[in-house]
Amino acid sequence: MILNVTFWAFSALAVFSGWRVFRADSMVRAAYWLLLSFAAVGIILVLLKAEFLGLILILMMGGEMTIMAVFMVAFMMNPAGLNPMTMVHRNSVAIVAGVVSFLAIAALGLFARFPVARAPAGVDPTRKLGVELLGNSMLVFQTAGVTLLAAMIAAIAISSARGRYGDADQGSVEPDQMVTAPAGDVAAAAAHDPAPVISPGVHQ
Amino acid sequence: MNALRVVIAVVSVGAVSVAGIYLAAWVDLLVGRAVAGLEVRPLDALSAPLRWGAATALKTRTTTERPDAETWALAPALLAALAAVGLAAVPLAPGLLAADVANGIVLFGAAMALVVVAVFLQGWSPNSPLPMIGGYRFIAEGLSYEIPLAVVLIAAALPARSLAIAPIVTSQEHLWNIVRQPLGLPLYLMAGLGLAFWGPLALPEGQDLAGGSSLETSGVSRILWRTAQLLVLVAVAAMGAAVFLGGWLGPLFPGAAWMIVKTIILLVPLIATRHFVARVPTERYVVVSWAILIPLSLLDVFIAGIQALVAAR
Amino acid sequence: MGVKAALARLAAGAPARCFAVVGAEADEIAPWLRLDPELVIVDSPRAADVLLVLGQLDDEMVRAAAGVHDALPPPRGVVSWSPGGERPVSWPFTDDVRVDDPAQIPAACRRLRDELLSGRRASSPDILPDIDPAPWRGVGPFGQGGAGMTGGVPYGRPLAARADDRDGLKLDQILVRVGPYLPPFPSGLVLDVKIQGDVIQEVSIPTPAAVAPDLISAGAHSAGAHSLTGERALFNAAVTQPVPVADIEVARARHHLVWLAEALRVSGLEAYGRRVLKLARTVRPEAAEPVDDLSRWLRRNVSLRWGTSGVGMVSASRAAALPGGPVARAAGDGRDARSLDPAYERLGFTPVVLEDGDALARWRVRVDEAQQALALAQRAGESLTTPIGLVEGPCGPIGGERSTSAALVTMLPELLVGMEWGDAVTTVVSLDIDMAEAALPHDAAVASRAS
Repeated sequence: MILNVTFWAFSALAVFSGWRVFRADSMVRAAYWLLLSFAAVGIILVLLKAEFLGLILILMMGGEMTIMAVFMVAFMMNPAGLNPMTMVHRNSVAIVAGVVSFLAIAALGLFARFPVARAPAGVDPTRKLGVELLGNSMLVFQTAGVTLLAAMIAAIAISSARGRYGDADQGSVEPDQMVTAPAGDVAAAAAHDPAPVISPGVHQ
Repeated sequence: MNALRVVIAVVSVGAVSVAGIYLAAWVDLLVGRAVAGLEVRPLDALSAPLRWGAATALKTRTTTERPDAETWALAPALLAALAAVGLAAVPLAPGLLAADVANGIVLFGAAMALVVVAVFLQGWSPNSPLPMIGGYRFIAEGLSYEIPLAVVLIAAALPARSLAIAPIVTSQEHLWNIVRQPLGLPLYLMAGLGLAFWGPLALPEGQDLAGGSSLETSGVSRILWRTAQLLVLVAVAAMGAAVFLGGWLGPLFPGAAWMIVKTIILLVPLIATRHFVARVPTERYVVVSWAILIPLSLLDVFIAGIQALVAAR
Repeated sequence: MGVKAALARLAAGAPARCFAVVGAEADEIAPWLRLDPELVIVDSPRAADVLLVLGQLDDEMVRAAAGVHDALPPPRGVVSWSPGGERPVSWPFTDDVRVDDPAQIPAACRRLRDELLSGRRASSPDILPDIDPAPWRGVGPFGQGGAGMTGGVPYGRPLAARADDRDGLKLDQILVRVGPYLPPFPSGLVLDVKIQGDVIQEVSIPTPAAVAPDLISAGAHSAGAHSLTGERALFNAAVTQPVPVADIEVARARHHLVWLAEALRVSGLEAYGRRVLKLARTVRPEAAEPVDDLSRWLRRNVSLRWGTSGVGMVSASRAAALPGGPVARAAGDGRDARSLDPAYERLGFTPVVLEDGDALARWRVRVDEAQQALALAQRAGESLTTPIGLVEGPCGPIGGERSTSAALVTMLPELLVGMEWGDAVTTVVSLDIDMAEAALPHDAAVASRAS
């Protein structure tokens, strides 16, 4: 009984806050409505005995939504989110996509045959999850993890001012784009500077 | 029977919160007076937090020009709630646990991860530049302390082979984690200072921002904000006592007494840092955290992992 | 009602929380208020019961003080003190408690706070009208004052601009006016700052200086006997007449220690700052050991070094452009007006010079100079300075064409650009700018004081 009431309450909260994301007129608020929606889903996961997954969802989303809010504020044409902005764009496409995906998920929920096998008592879901992550599915998850890490490092390297070829604000350019001096001067420069001057992209 | 136990646990979390907050405020005052070279007068100082609270409660809760009023009102309450959840995850004595979940340490981590949201909202909502800088700063700070915090807590859970706190405490029956994992507690306390934005890591509320994220806050909100901040410190100290100092384990006295003593042992130095260590510049803190503290915490978890493997043989 | 009365009775035991607005002629009084057990000087007007208005304010500063007043949460009140007892014509605080004797300030604040909290006295009403800086209501689809994402003046404030950041991205940038009462800054300093996150991208100084000359001169002749005992008067007098070296040097040590107390407070070590302030009040040449201990403690404190080393670099060429003073001496420029004085030569004086030019070097130069000043004062005995028309004041030479503080203020915009906010504040604090000195046409002021 209590379980049912809690489930429906948090489901309603998840849907309501998900709806508010698109009605909020501030990017910070939109981000935190989304966080609230995720937190409600996290608690539903806890009710479903997936305690670890539910809590870790909340743990991860707290930081993520904050970062998202700050980046939206920093990057948007409407910095600081002062002017109320609408969170929905291209309404007709959005409505069609929304209705279609809702119907698809609803159909899945209504018509799919879910397995009814009850989990045996005394199973620790966290343990099972750990064994899965580092057992049979290890290759998949580790590959995804390393790929993500590489992507993060690459993103930082690309956006950082302190690049390979000097500081961005000092007008650093990669060697390809350098305007090189005539051949004679290259030799002179090479004599002056022990490092060889190589500019493969320039034809003489 | 079970329900009764939960009620007792919740009540004791409330009592520990109130006592802990008051103790923290009192100790802060005493250490401050001693460092300032004033007469300490501990009994006089006993009433000072109450008097401050009374004086602040009589002030109007003012507003700024176009604040985000709802989130501004929410932020202190959110911080207090998160700190309370964090404290509720800590078993105060064998079986005395308000939030009896199988993943207590993850619950604590999740509550503490959301502290960033509360502090950012406190800084963002008043629509005022210096608080906003404070809010931004705390995001940089949060991203820097959260990883060491999570990693050392995982390391502390390894010997117990459980994410629940009670087994972590009992796993220290023979050897406390502070000895087994010497890097753990210092890293944890450093991260805890960041979490409570206190002392050297009071970056969002530094004097250079004239109070930063709480600059515009007055009246009851200010009281709630301050007490919630102290409650975060109390929760950090209590969790540290449980997972590094063997929690309720100890001879002669009942477990709860040991737990209280150990919490105080961690709480007092945490509070005192404010008077001995200057505020760290944000950028340097971030660099040190990512370049030194996170690698050290990874080393800590590797050591704990190797020990767990050896123990399993 | 009962609860309120009980709270008020309980609150009556607490010190009064004051936000201090410090104008000209009050720098001899304001710092010491932090030592009074009846007061707490708070950083934010939102945390204050009482607005403390000290010294002479010009119209601009009065207007700013009125804004600060309105930020105090009611019940609130004003306690004011000005050296001659005069208030400018534009004085907006109609129901302020006026104090003539500065020693009465703490008690007056405490009494006013008790009256306010217990309801025996009405909270002082808003001074400035509560209107929007620009019309916006009803404009735009939400009535927010702007259409689309970037149009108009939403809620009366212009939108943030966008500008390149350090990594070549275009991010939001806001224009903020700070001062004249931002607690970590010298009172009266106003800066227009463009910030992106907490990085300063552009700094400009909106008004040449905060203190108007006519008020200063009015203050100077009405202040009378008070000014003569002050540190500023002592240094100014030494320009034209012989003054005991011991007095000058103790005043210098005291100035540097007061500065150190404030610098420690801004670094987060409020309690230790209070200890240093207590030391500053009682400092004597015969008892210099506490200053030596302090110097040792500062050298050992790693956290202070962390926050100051490499911050706010003043290059040798910039130092050379300054008239002199500790900031230049911390950047390897050894000019010190005392080197020109035969009296100091007899005492074996050599200026304290460090090479680094960062905030840490400035901290060290001042602490070393405080130690040196006490040693000089002890050796000096009865000897007098030689009036050579130039005196080494605590912030730089006095009597020259231009004050060091004025030069430092003009240097600020270049110096602060690119810094994070925290480093910028550390830098401003480490420069020890005296706004009253910066505002004066220098020789004119010296002439008016000395006469």
